[in-house]
Amino acid sequence: MAKTILIVDDSSTMLMSLRNSLEIAGFKVLSANDGQPALDQLKAGAKPDLIITDINMPNMGGIEFIAKARAMSGFRFTPILVLTTESQQARRDEAKSLGATGWLVKPVSGTDLTRIIKQVLPGA
Amino acid sequence: MNMKPAHLWQHISTKGRSHVCVVAVLALLLASRFLPANSLDSLLGRSGDSTMLLAALLLLASLFWKPPVAAKGPVAAWTPLADLRSLLKVHLELDQGIDAKLVEVAQDTENSALSIISEVRGLYDSANLLVKYLETSSPQANSLGSDIVNSVSYLVEIGAFIEELPAKMTRDLNSVQSVVQEITELSSLVGSVQAISMQSHLLAINAAIEGSRAGAAGSAFRVVADEMRLLAGNSSAVALKITAGLHRARAAVEGGMATRVQESSKALHDVANAVSSIQKLQENFEDMSQYFKTRFAVITQHNLSLAHDIAEVLGHIQYQDVVSQCIERIRKTQTQRNAFLQSSVDKLRASRPDMKALQAALMQIQQDFAEQEDLHKHSARHDKDAVGEAKFELF
Repeated sequence: MAKTILIVDDSSTMLMSLRNSLEIAGFKVLSANDGQPALDQLKAGAKPDLIITDINMPNMGGIEFIAKARAMSGFRFTPILVLTTESQQARRDEAKSLGATGWLVKPVSGTDLTRIIKQVLPGA
Repeated sequence: MNMKPAHLWQHISTKGRSHVCVVAVLALLLASRFLPANSLDSLLGRSGDSTMLLAALLLLASLFWKPPVAAKGPVAAWTPLADLRSLLKVHLELDQGIDAKLVEVAQDTENSALSIISEVRGLYDSANLLVKYLETSSPQANSLGSDIVNSVSYLVEIGAFIEELPAKMTRDLNSVQSVVQEITELSSLVGSVQAISMQSHLLAINAAIEGSRAGAAGSAFRVVADEMRLLAGNSSAVALKITAGLHRARAAVEGGMATRVQESSKALHDVANAVSSIQKLQENFEDMSQYFKTRFAVITQHNLSLAHDIAEVLGHIQYQDVVSQCIERIRKTQTQRNAFLQSSVDKLRASRPDMKALQAALMQIQQDFAEQEDLHKHSARHDKDAVGEAKFELF
């Protein structure tokens, strides 16, 4: 059965690019253009096997989203990858302390993304 | 630069001029100690005072003297603040135009990126549809191939059987010919029977003659002779019938076999040709099957490569987001800079601004921009520092 991935990014280009890359790789894809709609999806019953989130978003950023998602039951151990243009160590450490599983710097090719996803989602 | 000393003096600031004049006064004072007293000194009462007076006059003249400017028409009064505000207004209008263009460019690149993604996905879907079609067709072709192979196998077996038929028929013919031989031999036996019958007939005639000669004593002998003659006649008639029957049987067997062998020979030839064609068909089918298997493998590999390339293209398209974010940061910095310039010009109206503080504030904006860009440097393609550094980290 195909694994489900939730992607959270305010850029339409990123959402479309990731959606198509992941669908071609055989994943089922959910998407949200901000942290809050992503949380709403989780509260509504979405059960992604993996979440990929941007950091800088207009209303709710990725750091806040990770913290709130980790506080929800059922998502304490769901892998969350950060995908952002930022690369400073302090931000990485902050995301790590909040429960992020990994940090990816944009842009990421479909091949690299699939390879990393298979590392965090064995059997995907 | 070719410049007259008077104009060069104008390019030195007031503070600079003061420093030059102080140096000149000190030089004059020093010189006055070594120069002889003159009449002006006598008038002023002290040696060297004339030199000091001269130096003071020189200082005042240097501070306020301006070289004459050649008149080129009516000279308008210079209003620096008004001019600066006008300049800032033009600058802000220019920046508004640039900002609008940056937003437009970002939107255009996003629309283009979305179109490219859509087209590329369509390309992948088409290629994938072809592979799925081939995947569906392949088992059907394999099943059809198995049926053909099985059918051909049966036909080959039948062909082999038919190929053996001539030998079998030859064996049957030989058997029939031996039967004919037997019949021929039976015909010769019938001839013997006829000869015996003839001799019996002659014997009966002789016996009848001898019985007549014997008179009454030979009457019984004549009866036997008549019976023998009748028997001989019957035997001869039966022998003739048997001979005729054997002739008919032999003719029927020999004629029928010849016709059947002739007919079978042509049919067997046709069957042999048909089997050969079927075998050739099977070989062609196997060749064709292998050809399509190779083609299918090539198309599948091609599709995998296409999927890989499309995934790479989709990755490169993400630079649109990287560029858009960079444009946003540039716009934000421009807005900060323009607000600062507006504020600085406003302050000029109120009082003389602290130029050092203004410079420091502008440099802070520059530093903030540089720091922001440094945070995102690994997203840039051209950044040399980013080469070789891990863009992925799993915690």
